Amino acid sequence: MCAMLFPRKYQAITIASILIILSLIILSFNLKRPGEPGFIRKLVMEAASPLEAMITGSIDGIRGVWKRYIFLVGLEEENRALKRKIETLTNELVNYRESYLEGLRLKEHMALRETHQLPMTTARVVGKENSSIFKTILINKGTSEGLRPGLPVLSAQGVVGRIIESSWNVSRVLLAIDYNSNIDAVIQGSRSQGILQGGGAMGCILKYVERSEEIKVGDAVLTSGMGGVFPRGLLLGTVVSVDRKDSGLFQRIDVMPAVHFSRLEEVSVIMPLEKEK
Amino acid sequence: MIFYLLLPVFSLILLVLQTTILDLFFLGKMGLEISLVVVIYAGFHLNASRGGILAFVMGFLLDCITGSITGLFTFFYVVVFFSSKIVSFRVYAEGLFFIMFFTLVCALSEGVFIMLLYRLIYGVDISTSLFRLFIPQALVAGVLSPALFAFFDRFKVLRDVTEQ
Repeated sequence: MCAMLFPRKYQAITIASILIILSLIILSFNLKRPGEPGFIRKLVMEAASPLEAMITGSIDGIRGVWKRYIFLVGLEEENRALKRKIETLTNELVNYRESYLEGLRLKEHMALRETHQLPMTTARVVGKENSSIFKTILINKGTSEGLRPGLPVLSAQGVVGRIIESSWNVSRVLLAIDYNSNIDAVIQGSRSQGILQGGGAMGCILKYVERSEEIKVGDAVLTSGMGGVFPRGLLLGTVVSVDRKDSGLFQRIDVMPAVHFSRLEEVSVIMPLEKEK
Repeated sequence: MIFYLLLPVFSLILLVLQTTILDLFFLGKMGLEISLVVVIYAGFHLNASRGGILAFVMGFLLDCITGSITGLFTFFYVVVFFSSKIVSFRVYAEGLFFIMFFTLVCALSEGVFIMLLYRLIYGVDISTSLFRLFIPQALVAGVLSPALFAFFDRFKVLRDVTEQ
């Protein structure tokens, strides 16, 4: 087309000159009147916009899918990490709660020690024999800690029982509810004395209390200190029923132990005094 | 004639792709100016009328799409095209390193031209862009130019057909 307009010899120079001059005119014209798009420019913008919109839309779509994928992958990873963290924190929380509760219990034991002004040692319950006949627990201290059979064992609630056998590092405690357990007791209000015998799952029975004694339900039963094993005034339990209908000299008194034996975790052992040693 | 009819369409598509998809590769920090490489390629391989029109159209469309002052890229691309044309008459322009070097020089010149224009006309100093934008962009264009030249060679048949 250009070959027809210009001689071949000068064609390149002519075209170059025309195009350069034309572009310079466009440039200078637009520099003088900026911000005013010409018709062709508007046309180009109109033509380019659907294409750009289509490509940009596709890119955004792909980017969105990719980001969602990455987000989901990240979310899954985050979810796993959070679950792991929750498990760890739950374990930690349980440990802290345990420590807190243990602290509270130990505080009670300390209070017990201060109340009775007796030398005591605290031991952890490491085993329970809770069959229908034998009611004993195993504690984690033995002869190496100065424990020996016959020593009374308490909890913050009251009397637990007494040690019946000890090895170097563990001791077995006969619970107050064991049928073999007999503790000299006194009823707080009437000061009536008797023997608190273990009754297994039924609790305890206060024996040898005369029919003439006025015993009421709810009366506290304490150690009398007569047997030489338990100091006097330790809580054994409360009277839950009194029966005078049976013939004989004594009335039947059912006592609910003060201690929840199934929940025992730590106990205090009253240590022998120096002179007793 | 087909060449002149298809030229604006293909140029528009190329420029839109350049300003959209290719931008993604560099996260919008800089661009790969394929259009400049196309103009240089045209300077080495097309005659003055076709190549000149191509450079003019390509530059004008780029002005419209990028929103720059109309005539800025139009003028520069036309100058680049005829510079390439002159160089191709005197130098063997098919060498790999020459293509890379020449593209690098053209791209850098573009940066300097834009910088000077902004300085002279708007009084704005964009010299910091020279190191942060124009030089890396010129390096990328220079490095990739041989590959792009090889890619454009694949359309030689189409070019020859339209010439006939």
